[in-house]
Amino acid sequence: MSVKIALAGNPNSGKTTLFNALTGSNQFVGNWPGVTVEKKEGKLRGYKDVTITDLPGIYSLSPYTLEEVVARNYLVNERPDVILNIIDGTNIERNLYLTTQLAELGIPVVVAVNMMDAVNKSGDEIDFHALKKTLGCEVTAISALKGTGIKETAEKAVSEARRKSFTAVHKFSDEIEAVIDEITAQIDGKIPEEQKRFYAVKLFERDEKILNSMTDIPDVSDIIASAEESMGDDSESIITNERYNYIASIISSCCKKKNKNKLTVSDKIDKIVTNRWLALPIFAAVMVIVYYVSVTTIGTWATDWVNDCLFGDEINFFGASLPGIPALIGGALEALGTAEWLNGLIIDGIVAGVGAVLGFVPQMLVLFIFLAFLEACGYMARIAFIMDRIFRKFGLSGKSFIPMLIGTGCGVPGIMASRTIENDRDRKMTIMTTTFIPCGAKLPIIALIAGALFNGAWWVAPSAYFVGIGAIIVSGIMLKKTRMFSGDPAPFVMELPAYHMPTVGNVLRSMWERGWSFIKKAGTIILLSTIVLWFLQGFGVENGSFGMVEDLNNSILAVIGGIIAPIFAPLGWGDWRSAVATVTGLIAKENVVGTFGILYGFAEIAEDGAEVWGTLALNYTALSAYSFLIFNLLCAPCFAAMGAIKREMNNAKWTCFAIGYQCVFAYAVAMCVYQFGNLFTAGAFRIGTVFAVLVLIAFIYLLLRPYKESKMLKIKSKSLQIQRRYEK
Amino acid sequence: MMPLTMANAGEEQCIQRITGRDETRRFLENLGFVAGSNVTVISRNGGNLIVNIKNTRIAIDRLMANRIMV
Repeated sequence: MSVKIALAGNPNSGKTTLFNALTGSNQFVGNWPGVTVEKKEGKLRGYKDVTITDLPGIYSLSPYTLEEVVARNYLVNERPDVILNIIDGTNIERNLYLTTQLAELGIPVVVAVNMMDAVNKSGDEIDFHALKKTLGCEVTAISALKGTGIKETAEKAVSEARRKSFTAVHKFSDEIEAVIDEITAQIDGKIPEEQKRFYAVKLFERDEKILNSMTDIPDVSDIIASAEESMGDDSESIITNERYNYIASIISSCCKKKNKNKLTVSDKIDKIVTNRWLALPIFAAVMVIVYYVSVTTIGTWATDWVNDCLFGDEINFFGASLPGIPALIGGALEALGTAEWLNGLIIDGIVAGVGAVLGFVPQMLVLFIFLAFLEACGYMARIAFIMDRIFRKFGLSGKSFIPMLIGTGCGVPGIMASRTIENDRDRKMTIMTTTFIPCGAKLPIIALIAGALFNGAWWVAPSAYFVGIGAIIVSGIMLKKTRMFSGDPAPFVMELPAYHMPTVGNVLRSMWERGWSFIKKAGTIILLSTIVLWFLQGFGVENGSFGMVEDLNNSILAVIGGIIAPIFAPLGWGDWRSAVATVTGLIAKENVVGTFGILYGFAEIAEDGAEVWGTLALNYTALSAYSFLIFNLLCAPCFAAMGAIKREMNNAKWTCFAIGYQCVFAYAVAMCVYQFGNLFTAGAFRIGTVFAVLVLIAFIYLLLRPYKESKMLKIKSKSLQIQRRYEK
Repeated sequence: MMPLTMANAGEEQCIQRITGRDETRRFLENLGFVAGSNVTVISRNGGNLIVNIKNTRIAIDRLMANRIMV
């Protein structure tokens, strides 16, 4: 008999740890249909036919957050055989609130009280026998972190699954029970007996999503109105209060608390870490350490090793010298005697292109370890809290800061980090703006322009970061005023988990999950795009016939470059080489420098492109170079990052909008800089200046116009509507 | 009665009522902010608060805290 177990619980209750312990490595990660809420499934260890589904962490079964809707739809539509409800033993009262709702679904529930080690340590006592009796379901004591009680819990869940149906034993006050009975009587027979209480309560709460899923909706508005009248509150609040009253009665009979009003260790840490004066300095110090270690020391060593050795000329491994991967593959291809063009495709196209991207993997893994640690120990939630005050001013939430911070290293994990933002609008806006921050791969472009046109002036690099930050702020304000993003910023409410030392296994697992998704991307979208670019770069019409070209000037890429170059003329760099360099930058931004090297006739070029500085200086003015820099910093990111945008947006239209917005924005800013620069320095007033003035006016209008009529965020759930199950 | 934003840090307060009738209020209720619950302000940062309710720490912004009357 196959058994479906649904794992449900509050955020921070240790659900993920329990899930990992129950399933081991036997997991499948995906998305819930239609949304970017992660879905994890796994087989219970030692049972081939028992599937565990990890539901999103939720506080209740109300329809207010995406996670709640997703979890509820699964429970109502798929009807798992048993719900394994994990609750935090140090915070039973709040956690049982969800339990009372799960128990009404008519599905057997097994309650696993987690963090028993912490409960015992604090001297609190929980009477499990009494708890089991009052809740009417199996209750077990576990510590997911230490791994105790997990096997027994799993066995209980499997045996409970055989019960098939379950009736909640808890009762609210007599007055409310009478009302619920009255509503239950009106629900038609298509709904199974054990689920009637759930529907009755939801009808009473006027839950629209549940109402829409029913075929015959009994008219109970009079009943609700009279109940609201006599109790002086609205129906939902009445039920909420009833639940908490019921829970309070359980707590007083089953739990004994010691040291009631003492500040916990976490409270004491929070007093310092979130202190008005110390919060920002402490945060800055933590970030400097993370950034320094992962970007400039360990991460760079590892990345350089991959770039220069593994995908370079030779591998130097503790003194032993081995040929690098390109040489190895080259040798193998030569031995096989493959055609020259194939060798070119594999070595120059695939290995070089994918290698360039994989070079970031070690750096990212180091960053991911830090992030996983900060997340698991509880500090990440505090960062969001501290930054919220500042980010709120331009329409983003405090949670948007983390993706941008990671984006200074690489935009791909930065965009992926936007997942932690629950609010759909805030998340989309963060995805769109994260890559404005110069990532590690854009630094060579900055170095090239600064060196060639500005004599290596110190201010060029910082100015690039200011342009990035400015772009985020301006975009935040502009987008917030469009209809798509309008509305009050989502209220900031966030549970701050107790500080604790994460397990090594969980940190590594989280690091690997993120790292692997990037590596997979390098193997698909980047692989494909490098092949296409290699072809465009290597083929063309030379000496009257189509084939591989010696001179890049004859390649298809040059032809395309020639066609699109005029587009960039208003930005001051309408020559085809700049256009081609910008296009190759889409593979990886540091390619821009290498492309200039090739186009100006240098085979090998230093990272900052010192060899071409002279030639570049002849072709550019300071203004046109700076406009080139701005465009390349702000326009569509590399393919890897675009892939990440697509994955996180999970929607083709939004992906196109995001990338389109970035390009248009980059174009507009670069044009304004070039045209106004020309106007003020050389007094040159041209047709382009007119356009720049128009664009500037548009910018000012978009920035200053009033906010759209604000409405509270409603979850778009058309695709999530509970299907009309009972019609079938 | 006063809004939670005016409460002293470290003092336990009892929630009297939560103003407004919208999703925000429901969300607060689901997190345990219901009339009769005890709540303690742990720390404040520019009007935003970290409070202890039912043994958990919750961060809420100023606008939300203003609607919780203690």
